[in-house]
Amino acid sequence: MPTYMRSRLANGINLFIHPTVKFKTILVQLIFHRALREDDVTESSLLPSVLQRGSGNYPNRMAIAHRLEELYGTELVSGVTKKGERQLVSFTLDLVHDQYLPGESSLLKKALQVLSDVVTNPVLFDESFKEDYVTQEKEQHEKLIKGLINDKIAYSVERCLQHMCENEPFGVFKYGSVERLKTIDGPSLYHYYRHFLRESPADLHISGDLDLSEVSSLAEQIFTFERGAEEAVAATSVQKKIGDVRYVQEELDVSQGKLVLGYRTGVTCADDDYFPLLVYNGILGSFPHSKLFQNVREKASLAYYTYSRLEKHKGLMLISSGIEVDNYEKALEIINRQLAEMTRGDFTEEDLENTRSGLRNQFLVEEDSQGLVINRVLDDMLVGREENTAQLLKRLAAVTREDVARVSANVCLDTVYFLTKRGGV
Amino acid sequence: MLRLLENQLLKEKVYMRQIAPGLEVFVLPKKGYVKKYVTYATNFGSIDSRFIVEGEDKELSVPDGVAHFLEHKLFEDEDGNVFDRFARLGASSNAFTNFNNTAYLFSCTDHFAECLELLLDFVQTPYFTAESVEKEKGIIEQEIRMYEDNAQWRIFFNLLAAMYKEHPVRVDIAGTAESIRQIDKDVLYKCYRTFYHPSNMALFVVGDVDPGRVFEQVEANISKRNYKELGDIKRIYPNEPLELGQDFVKQELVVSQPLLNLGFKERDLGYQGERLFKKELTTNLVLDVVFGSSSKLYNELYEEGLIDDEFDAGYVAEQDYGHTILGGETVDPDRLLERLTLGIKEAKGSGISEAQFEHYRRKAMGEFLKSFNSLEFIANNFLAYHFRQINFFTYLDVLQSVTLADVNDRLHQHLVEDSMVRSLIMPKKG
Repeated sequence: MPTYMRSRLANGINLFIHPTVKFKTILVQLIFHRALREDDVTESSLLPSVLQRGSGNYPNRMAIAHRLEELYGTELVSGVTKKGERQLVSFTLDLVHDQYLPGESSLLKKALQVLSDVVTNPVLFDESFKEDYVTQEKEQHEKLIKGLINDKIAYSVERCLQHMCENEPFGVFKYGSVERLKTIDGPSLYHYYRHFLRESPADLHISGDLDLSEVSSLAEQIFTFERGAEEAVAATSVQKKIGDVRYVQEELDVSQGKLVLGYRTGVTCADDDYFPLLVYNGILGSFPHSKLFQNVREKASLAYYTYSRLEKHKGLMLISSGIEVDNYEKALEIINRQLAEMTRGDFTEEDLENTRSGLRNQFLVEEDSQGLVINRVLDDMLVGREENTAQLLKRLAAVTREDVARVSANVCLDTVYFLTKRGGV
Repeated sequence: MLRLLENQLLKEKVYMRQIAPGLEVFVLPKKGYVKKYVTYATNFGSIDSRFIVEGEDKELSVPDGVAHFLEHKLFEDEDGNVFDRFARLGASSNAFTNFNNTAYLFSCTDHFAECLELLLDFVQTPYFTAESVEKEKGIIEQEIRMYEDNAQWRIFFNLLAAMYKEHPVRVDIAGTAESIRQIDKDVLYKCYRTFYHPSNMALFVVGDVDPGRVFEQVEANISKRNYKELGDIKRIYPNEPLELGQDFVKQELVVSQPLLNLGFKERDLGYQGERLFKKELTTNLVLDVVFGSSSKLYNELYEEGLIDDEFDAGYVAEQDYGHTILGGETVDPDRLLERLTLGIKEAKGSGISEAQFEHYRRKAMGEFLKSFNSLEFIANNFLAYHFRQINFFTYLDVLQSVTLADVNDRLHQHLVEDSMVRSLIMPKKG
């Protein structure tokens, strides 16, 4: 039984209401879905920043910020995330539930009005956004794109993925490119925005201690902007590894080397084998009891952080580790050995049991976060499955050693990326 | 004795009990939450680097990074790795060390009592061997190297090292690759004996649990260990002069654009408890008015392209030290410095109005309420404030006690040029 109510607003936005009494806040997410494409991401990731510069009722950034503060520090943040080859552009409101604010009522309504104004009622001149807002946000966006290098861990992971998926949409950086950014101006972005608003499939999630009919009529009243036929987002392509492992090294003036390995698993969260893959990844590297932590860190003292994680919508797995550059060969050898052990089924019953318990814990605690609950429903929609926690735990408990062996046979190393010191190893 | 703290506005209750020989235990029941989060912390952090060991009379000065090293090593005992035992219970465990405290924690959904027992046991069972201490050095060295490449981290520690002449807050929490090489098991045991006595520690439990049963279990665990009373811990902090060590510090790193941070060194020190709390909340209100995202200054700087939306200002309040740090990435650090300095001058000239004051107080109230969704936030903050003799639940009351005159006085006294340090990171060329 779903724990939320789903309906459709008159203009075609999917409305999800998640009633819950345990939080002090109401969380609202308005999410637009786009295909992840080189000729779309720069615009889609720049757009929210331009919208947050001013709206009809709050003509500049300062006026929006001031209004949100007045609403007891309500936060309005925008962001882009990629789920497989799908770009999600989201606007999130986080506000105090007014039952904690004596004398206050209708805070949700006021906050939704700000959100709606920002997203659907921008400051316009003729058929264009305000030119200096666009110019300034283009500058900020360029800094954001170039700033990837400032976080060496995130940078090395992104670089590995870009090499690995260079001919696939997944290799596209979610903030787009500086070259593409240069071609954008006020009128062109406004033209894009009109299509974006009319055609992107859109979801509105509202979570909190809510009265269902009250909230749904509120959403119906406030989100009335005109929309047309939706532009469906194509399914993510899952590719198999063909050919030799690709080795990439990049030199920067850094203190620590970053080793990132990219694998193709052939399994996504839409597949029946996803749970065996989750367990595989858990035994290998997503916990402190996992093989990577135990062997690369605890036994060999080569790293402080070392983990594996899944890119579950694209069927990829990544291993990331920070090491002394001289230890490149040694670390690679130990990591390869852990993968080989997985393929041979060389892990204990305890490894399997601990991993199942750890994953069970992770699924259960999702219910303590409004954001994670919304995210799970979003993922369910994308894969066309609907499962509550009890059903997920049942699938998890059913994973056997044989299941893990089956998925491990398909895990295939694609790219080894190493960020090293100048002069290298 | 059981004490109960209740906050009507928050609709939360904390049960408190002191368990012999002096462990403070707090339980905040959160109905409906699946997760239970527990943190067991000692009032021992990186700044406690000179002290007199229990039973000795000579001062001991320990290598930089010992508190953090000890945190790593407590996760190992005679039977191996503690992470594995939490894993068997489906729980996840971790720890962190900051300037003032070291905290050990777990979160779980099932087997709560077993997890709590394990936490209490492993923190109270030090087991250090020469071999395991050596092995840890490689791991911690990589942790240090990771931070060496992190510009946000570097600009922060560079600033503290410039601001303070003597106080150990000027030293990196993890120490350096060189200083950790001097650490051996003897020094770890000495620190352990001095700082890991229950009377220097506190436990916070939050989740859907029964407070009575938690107190019983903790008492049973502690009482069987026959602790003796601990005398006063003699911590030795050097006298920190009011003036700055240096007013400027610069480093080059591989970054896309420069970073500028400004630090203001606290001149009004020596408080604990409510007075310290009030100073902290007052200062944060001032920073919000002057540098917050709806301030005139922030928006001008943003429109000029001198800052981005990561620009931030925050204040740290401790008994023996305190500072404001503000800043972020910028294309032009000289111009940003000039504009910030001018902005502060203008803010002082116009003062803070009643309307501004009430506006930001309302925002602070909302933000505090919102943060009570997070079990981690509640537990970690409650203990960090507890060690400064502050009851975190009094936040809203203390906030209400701040007056317009307080914030205006603070604006003038705290943000002064003589106590200002600039820390700069420039992109490495080539």
